Amino acid sequence: MTNPSRVGVIGVAIHPHITDARRSLEEILFDTTREALADAKLSIEDIDGIVVGANDQYDGRAIAVMAASGSVGGVDRDILSTPSAGEHAFVLAALRVATGQFRTQLALAWSPTEASPLHEVQRLAADPYFHRALPLDETSAHALQATALLAAVPGVEEAAWAIVVKNRRHGAAAYPGVTSPVAGLSDAYPLRWPLRADMVAAPTTGAVAMVLASPDWIADHQVQNVAWIAGMGWATEPSFLGDRKLAFAPALEAAVEQAYTAAAITAPLASFDVAEVSDTTPYQELLACEALGFAKRGDWLARAREGTFATGGKLPINLSGGALTLNPVFCTGLIRIAEVANQVRGRAGAHQRPGAARGVAHAASGGAMQYNTVVILSRGDEGARA
Amino acid sequence: MTTPRVGIIGVGQSKFTARRNDASYPDLVREAVVLALKDADLAFDDIEAVVYSLSPDAMVGIGNAERIGVDAVGAKNKRFLRINTGGATGISSVISAYYHIAAGICDVVLTAGADKVGECGDSQTVLNKIWDPTYERQLPLGTITMLAMSAVRYMHKYGMTEEDMARVTVKNRMHASKNPHAHLSKETTIDEVMASRLISWPVKLMDCCPQSSGGGAMVLASEKYIRERKLAAAWITGVGHCSESYYLGDRMGRGFVADHADAHALKRSFERSYAMAGVNDPQKQVDVAELYAPFSNTEFHSIEAAGLAQLGGSISQLREGRFSLGGEIPVNPSGGTLCTNAIAVTAMIRAAEIALQVTGRAGDRQVRRAKLGIASGNGGDHQFFGTMVIEA
Repeated sequence: MTNPSRVGVIGVAIHPHITDARRSLEEILFDTTREALADAKLSIEDIDGIVVGANDQYDGRAIAVMAASGSVGGVDRDILSTPSAGEHAFVLAALRVATGQFRTQLALAWSPTEASPLHEVQRLAADPYFHRALPLDETSAHALQATALLAAVPGVEEAAWAIVVKNRRHGAAAYPGVTSPVAGLSDAYPLRWPLRADMVAAPTTGAVAMVLASPDWIADHQVQNVAWIAGMGWATEPSFLGDRKLAFAPALEAAVEQAYTAAAITAPLASFDVAEVSDTTPYQELLACEALGFAKRGDWLARAREGTFATGGKLPINLSGGALTLNPVFCTGLIRIAEVANQVRGRAGAHQRPGAARGVAHAASGGAMQYNTVVILSRGDEGARA
Repeated sequence: MTTPRVGIIGVGQSKFTARRNDASYPDLVREAVVLALKDADLAFDDIEAVVYSLSPDAMVGIGNAERIGVDAVGAKNKRFLRINTGGATGISSVISAYYHIAAGICDVVLTAGADKVGECGDSQTVLNKIWDPTYERQLPLGTITMLAMSAVRYMHKYGMTEEDMARVTVKNRMHASKNPHAHLSKETTIDEVMASRLISWPVKLMDCCPQSSGGGAMVLASEKYIRERKLAAAWITGVGHCSESYYLGDRMGRGFVADHADAHALKRSFERSYAMAGVNDPQKQVDVAELYAPFSNTEFHSIEAAGLAQLGGSISQLREGRFSLGGEIPVNPSGGTLCTNAIAVTAMIRAAEIALQVTGRAGDRQVRRAKLGIASGNGGDHQFFGTMVIEA
């Protein structure tokens, strides 16, 4: 089924690395909201509804959306929360605009680091009878996924290191001074075997906001710089890791099919100028490359060596440096979508790909990529008509 | 732009109780899903997307508990997301499922969830954690003390007595006695309520909702899907949300932005739903209401926010039986939240009950000739409000 109504992204604010400990969570959300509204050249009075991705456990508050109500402009407004994933806030906001019942939406997510150790928080998400005692946090689940790939794909570790090197290089250009490059194969200690310390970025505090609008609103206000949603898909893996074949990503493939069908994408590698994909570990970026139709697993290493997905390559992936550079865990997914929106709006700053007109974002959340969301954004509305 | 119409074609709910030792949390979700699919005469393969209804994870003791609920709702490789607006979560989930269809993305969407409030230890300990850790958490606030303050203010403004509050419990218990799904279904008297243990003045034990365990699920479908298959449906004609401030201090004292006695944002939410459904005289047009009221006193301001009585006017009208089964506009004929509160799905059950009412399937609690009904959900610290208009 195609998207029946065009929805555009008209404002973005991305903060993947907030270090100012003097600002409260509410101040961070207020500032991020104001920045996205300013980017869209509108005021909070123009916002018809809000969807936030808020996670109780990461925030240390039950019903975490409550604290956002004032600081993101929720009072007297229609505000909803998607605690399953930050990127689900974008999905629901887009659906709400597509109904024709809302002219505008604010989608927002954040991820603090000060409330509690994230691995302990994540451990509480494991089934209490069978898996919690293991202990099983998200990094452990990601490691099991990496292990499955090591067993299934010869040479995959070298391809994974090439991803780390590429994304850290991208990250150093996008966020100078924040990240350190990685030379290549490292013997850094394993966080969770086979994931070595250099293969995963430490969690950061972050926040991201996006403003979405209907075509009527965009036309009425003569907004010029729009990233139109040309396709969107989202799907989940089953609950238990033991029920999954971790070397494959069927839910991501389902999400890709939804998005590509909507946007009539048949030759993926030639269809996009940029991509931002989930890369909490480099193995996830490899799985995403396959599911998105960019490179089959047998070609991963060759494509990495050719620089196909690096700056200046045929299809640069994660020019922002991705989550391998800066990883505000719960809002990393929404940031992938926001980064692509900025690329096709020509507002990606230091890591802008000149002339980028169409891009695809893949966001994943949960252990070993349980939730997968794919969004195609296009500068012109020709893609949106597809 | 014309929005495609969306109908409710399946409803499932547990027999709610204090404990369900026979069922795990995902088991309860599945129980409701199976009932809803059977009611809709559909199979898992017919479902295109799932909206998962779960309020604070801490109630079930599992972080992001929707992840282990994926199998219970049959969502593998399907569209799936979770909603949490506190106590309003259930109705927010139904409305979010509605958006999936109204946007033209899906034809058939399932929304489902469950709660084990009766097994969470102490819900008020969990609910204290909804407040800001620096300013209001250590008072300590709970949802009972929060709404007891609303009761005191409402008494001051409109003359409500403790006996008036007890009368709400008596009415809803009488209604619940006709509802096989209700948790507390034993009829009671004003004297019994007045003699029950004081919890937070003026709220007594029997002015409070129970801590319930059980599941709820609903199947929604597009008009095209319903017409092609000649299915029976209850039609969603109005939806809306509105929220108040986070800090209770902003609703009290000099310069408050909303009066804690009333339900300002609930009223605004109903205004949005009514405008969409073309309801301009609710007192004449609404046949039945299921209003989220977890404490007896809050039913009064909910009735008024829904426009079924003037501010302060619901007290005498409830006394006269206007909101009882057999009255002019029965409110909470299921017994309502006051008799059953499995928080994650309580507000969904409000919408489900109205769907049953307007399609004449509400059994002994059926309101005669009900064609248009309303439902509401309240969440957070009386902060998030979702409302729906549902018609035959």
